[in-house]
Amino acid sequence: MRRGDHLQGALELVILKTLAAGPNHGFGITTHIQTVSTGLLRVEEGSLYPALHRLEAEKLVKGEWRITDNARKARFYSLTAAGRRRLADAESKWAAVARGVQKVLRFA
Amino acid sequence: MSRQEEDWRDEIESHLAMRADANAAEGLDPNEAADLARRQFGSPLRTLEDVRSVHVGRWLDHLGRDARMALRGFRRSPGFAAVALATLAIGIGASTAVFSAIDPLLFRPLPYPRGDRLVSVGFSGPIDNNEFQVSNAYMEWRDRQAAFQSMTSMTAGAHPCDLEVGGAQRLNCYNVEANFLSTLGLRPALGREFTREEDRHGAPKTALISYPVWQSVFHGDPGVLNQVVTLEEERVRIIGVLPAGFLMPQLGELDVMLPEQWDERAARNGTIFLRSFARLQDGVSIEQAIERMKPIFQDSLHTVPPELRSEVKLVIRSLRERQIHEVKLASWMLLGASMALLLLACANVANLLLARAAARHKELFIRAAIGAGRGRLAAQMLTESAVLGLAGGAAGCGLAYALLRAFVALAPGGLIRLEHAHIDLRVLGFALAVSLIGAMLFGLGPAFQRRRATTSPMFFRTALVASQIAIAVLLLTGASLFARSLQRLETQPLGFQPERVVTASFTLRRQRYRPQAAQAAFYREIEARLRAIPGGGLFAMSDSIPPRGSHGRPFSNMRIAGRPALPGGGMVAFRYVTPSYFQALGIPIVAGRNFEESERGAAYPPVILSATLARRMFGDENPIGQQIELEADGRYSQVVGVVADAKNAGIDVPPGPEYYRLRLNDATQLGPGAVALFRTSLDTETLSRWIRREFAEVDGSLPVAIQTMEKRVDAWRDRPRFVAWLVGLFAVFGLVLATVGLYGVMSFLVAQRTREIGVRMAIGATPRDIAVLIQKRGLVWTGAGVGVGVIAAVFFTRLVRGLLFEISPQDPVSMATSIVVLAIAAGAAAWVPSYRASRVDPAVTLRCE
Repeated sequence: MRRGDHLQGALELVILKTLAAGPNHGFGITTHIQTVSTGLLRVEEGSLYPALHRLEAEKLVKGEWRITDNARKARFYSLTAAGRRRLADAESKWAAVARGVQKVLRFA
Repeated sequence: MSRQEEDWRDEIESHLAMRADANAAEGLDPNEAADLARRQFGSPLRTLEDVRSVHVGRWLDHLGRDARMALRGFRRSPGFAAVALATLAIGIGASTAVFSAIDPLLFRPLPYPRGDRLVSVGFSGPIDNNEFQVSNAYMEWRDRQAAFQSMTSMTAGAHPCDLEVGGAQRLNCYNVEANFLSTLGLRPALGREFTREEDRHGAPKTALISYPVWQSVFHGDPGVLNQVVTLEEERVRIIGVLPAGFLMPQLGELDVMLPEQWDERAARNGTIFLRSFARLQDGVSIEQAIERMKPIFQDSLHTVPPELRSEVKLVIRSLRERQIHEVKLASWMLLGASMALLLLACANVANLLLARAAARHKELFIRAAIGAGRGRLAAQMLTESAVLGLAGGAAGCGLAYALLRAFVALAPGGLIRLEHAHIDLRVLGFALAVSLIGAMLFGLGPAFQRRRATTSPMFFRTALVASQIAIAVLLLTGASLFARSLQRLETQPLGFQPERVVTASFTLRRQRYRPQAAQAAFYREIEARLRAIPGGGLFAMSDSIPPRGSHGRPFSNMRIAGRPALPGGGMVAFRYVTPSYFQALGIPIVAGRNFEESERGAAYPPVILSATLARRMFGDENPIGQQIELEADGRYSQVVGVVADAKNAGIDVPPGPEYYRLRLNDATQLGPGAVALFRTSLDTETLSRWIRREFAEVDGSLPVAIQTMEKRVDAWRDRPRFVAWLVGLFAVFGLVLATVGLYGVMSFLVAQRTREIGVRMAIGATPRDIAVLIQKRGLVWTGAGVGVGVIAAVFFTRLVRGLLFEISPQDPVSMATSIVVLAIAAGAAAWVPSYRASRVDPAVTLRCE
């Protein structure tokens, strides 16, 4: 595993989770994460787009140009079947990691 | 990448727009909202950069991983890797070596700026193999033409000249017109070219020297400019140095370039023999130039002797064509042969990869099962082939270098400019391209097979083997054709006996022997000295020797006393010889008698005809005693003898008509150049030492070239020998590769059908039955390959008819030889696996279940 894999994994996890709610574009994903985490998480655009493209290259998400409700052209991403599997996998792994870290913090 | 990149850019723009919308919704005015959106985003350029690196990075990552995997795989099966590598090295090495030899001839731009616009212009006639010019016609053409930007001329041949700088040196001088270099589009490396004034008759002498002469004689000293040197015992000022690598348009060896300095009136009325070259006007094609020059050519026909007019034509052709027409066919043929070998090598490697793919079926299946896409797997296979191709290419370059050395050693004069052929960036580029294209070709095999799992993989592999055999048959047929042609060329009668004949040729320095009497005195003296060499054997002198004549005169000039003109045209070769010439060269006198020594002082010496000329002039009549006129000068000579024909126009064409005149002791007849001949029992080394000593005692500064007649004749076979050896080498390579290919597939077949064979034997098949069963398969494939190969050979060998000497392209012996050789090799290749199959133990194979 590469360094930063865990953090990058976290970013991918929240992106995949956001898209599980339905197709969305990059801007929508940042606002969604910010809103849902009540401002605790803020995703930098500079990391978001490389991450989205990496996910797309791995065929976990699929991007296509659509028109938004506000009549803007935007690239919408949606989960693929592989993406859904990866999300389930990553969610359980994350839960384990989180529990582990929590225990270490409590008893160390 | 650019459309994709635009897409990424649009995506960021759309993000900024939506963020600005959101900001505006919170009450900011549109400008502020957009500014804020930009600040919130950070650096769009940086983001774009990161997105790009995601894509490029993945690609490089895969490539690197595939390459590493390929290398690991090859390490795991070193036998496969070694055979594949050797096969590829042979294919790529042979084609690269051939390419490096023919590239300067066929493809590389000529070493003149816009050299494709340069043409050679002149008359074609029976006098010369190449188009020529004569000064009176040339000046008319030059003054009236409207097809060329400029037109220039040079004297037809080099003349030997002596430069006196630290001892005399014999160099090659050419006379050229003032605009010679500028027409070619060149400038001297140092100094300038000739001015019109310097080209005028009687102007002070000036010269340009070649780059190698500048380096070797003047040690590259720039002070050579305006230096006055002694050339041909005249004072000549050096005004420039030619560019390094300068190439004369007719490929002559040049050391010193001098202006023509014609006497204008003499040139307009005379027929100085020239070559002329021109640069086409922009937008004018060669065909258009011919159209434009035609009327001028017609007008200038009056300069041609009337009898020759019907035989003379106008020729304008590209300079490249002029330079390479003799070797063009051979060059293309060799390129074709090497490409065929390369194709065969690729088929072989494809087959190896297929066998490997079959063995790796499980690995690929697992990779596909764990999610590797079809594209990824194909990319992996192609990377593997590319790694193999590049490694084979590298090994091939090494082989090409060795082959090229071998070419030059084998036949120094095999192709023009062969000695200049070397491996450079262009050639390496070719090798790289060939390696990668080859990798695609053999990489496609396994890819094709995987996709079409339904077609029998055996069928595809069989087709590959059959095509290898077809190519091998083609190469073998070509090789035996060229070998037989070369053999005929070596054993054919020349009309003279070159064995034990030593020749010494020399050209006197014109200035030193200016009064012709001095020349005659020199010849008398040297003849007496050479004749007296002990053990020198039979001694003779001539102005030229076979297999080529240096002179020719129109047949139409010849007359039989008291009869009308003879029909027919063409040229007649002639030589001035001493009486012992025929005996020294072993040319039999078939009628009449030889010259006599006492006749050398006569005013009207007799003449001897060759058999062909005698037949042409007199038919069945006896020519002995007839009076004939030779040169339309009103002087008649008596025919005293007829000698057998001897080759006089090269060794690969039948001898043309020829007559012999007696070499007199008369100054007016003698030229500056001559050849001394010895039919001797002395060894060449001793004799040449003695010859040199005699020459040195008469004229210490005269260079003499000593060579055996056999070597001289043999030099004519350089090119056919080169072609024959090369195609032979390719055929051997091809045979080995095809045999290995057949063996590989047969072995695979046996391995695959072991169980079936076991069953057959268990139910009563004899080992013999099994061997026949297997061999029958091999026979069918070989038969199919041979059939296709023979058809291809019939088609392709027709194209090389011009390279064959006295042998038909459809020569059945060559065809049969190639089929027999291939059948033996294929039989051996099929025998080993079939033998192994017949030894299968049914008990063992059935227990494997």
